[in-house]
Amino acid sequence: MNEEYLWDKSGEPDSEIQELEETLGSLRHQPKRLDLPANNQETNRRSYIPLVAIAATLVIAVSAGLFWLSYRHNQHQILTTTTTAPVAPTPTIPEAKQTNEVVKSAETIPPQVAVATNRHRRTMTKTATPSKEAVLAKEQLMTALRLASEKLNLAQRKTQNPSVNQIRNQHKLG
Amino acid sequence: MKSLFRIFLRTPALVALFLIAPAVTVRAQDPRIQLSHLDHLATRASQTVDVSVDERLIQLAAKVFNDKDEDEAQIKKLVSGLKGIYVKSFEFDNENEYSAADLDTIKSQLREPAWSRLVNVTSKREGNVEVYVSLVGGTVNGLTVLSAEPKELTVVNIVGPVDLEKLAKLEGSLGIPDLGIKSTKKPKDEQ
Repeated sequence: MNEEYLWDKSGEPDSEIQELEETLGSLRHQPKRLDLPANNQETNRRSYIPLVAIAATLVIAVSAGLFWLSYRHNQHQILTTTTTAPVAPTPTIPEAKQTNEVVKSAETIPPQVAVATNRHRRTMTKTATPSKEAVLAKEQLMTALRLASEKLNLAQRKTQNPSVNQIRNQHKLG
Repeated sequence: MKSLFRIFLRTPALVALFLIAPAVTVRAQDPRIQLSHLDHLATRASQTVDVSVDERLIQLAAKVFNDKDEDEAQIKKLVSGLKGIYVKSFEFDNENEYSAADLDTIKSQLREPAWSRLVNVTSKREGNVEVYVSLVGGTVNGLTVLSAEPKELTVVNIVGPVDLEKLAKLEGSLGIPDLGIKSTKKPKDEQ
């Protein structure tokens, strides 16, 4: 047997080797383009689904966050508008009479202000600083009490001292 | 048959009476009076004070009062049981801007037995001041002060148990100016 032929096909080939070569020649490597099966391509496409799901979740989360922020902003604007409404005038000071303002009723406060969006947040606000609605209500209350007290005392004074007009007139004359 | 007809006719009437009577009684005991009839005066007035504080707002405002402050604690105690305070006050540049009919709309709601007139001071020069109280079981359940001066008309309606003495003493505290109405009243610092 010529071993050189087995190494580098030089020399004379052995007949038995040639026969084997012809038999196995059909199985020899033939360079050609690799064609993947269709099923394999579909599998690759399916691998993108988790990424798409993650991206969609992120988009939804960001959208929800933006919506919440805009809602909070709107709520803050409503609260600010309410508190800037005209407040009751200061107690019967002469300067106050010169102003021509109409005090709006505290009942005209929009009901949205009383509705809090977050229970925890509402509790925190109440404990930290009094709500602006409460401060406005307090001012209204003080105005009402002032007027009530003033008129009661006026009635009491007129009852106890009916001749106050005479005294006042005497004072003017004197 | 006739008696059966009477029974059928009488029963709904009695049921209606039982249903309506408590509602009418409650309405009669409600010391809140309607002040909306005076709203048209706002166009003529140089200054209008319109305060409408219901029970919810009173409770809300009560939380703002500082308990450590003596004056605020006193006011908080005074308003704690109230169900509403309603005030309409109009100041005019000229006299005779409001009519007797305007006063009648208020006075017509302040009749006995629901209301008792406590004070009635009449003065041609300074106008009239009337104080009405609503009494239920011997306790004051409501207060209405009607002050009709030549250039000013004020109606104060307080709904709920109110201490008149404490209310009168409020003047001079918490930014409420002491007008020195009572000659015997001493300033707060001297007390």
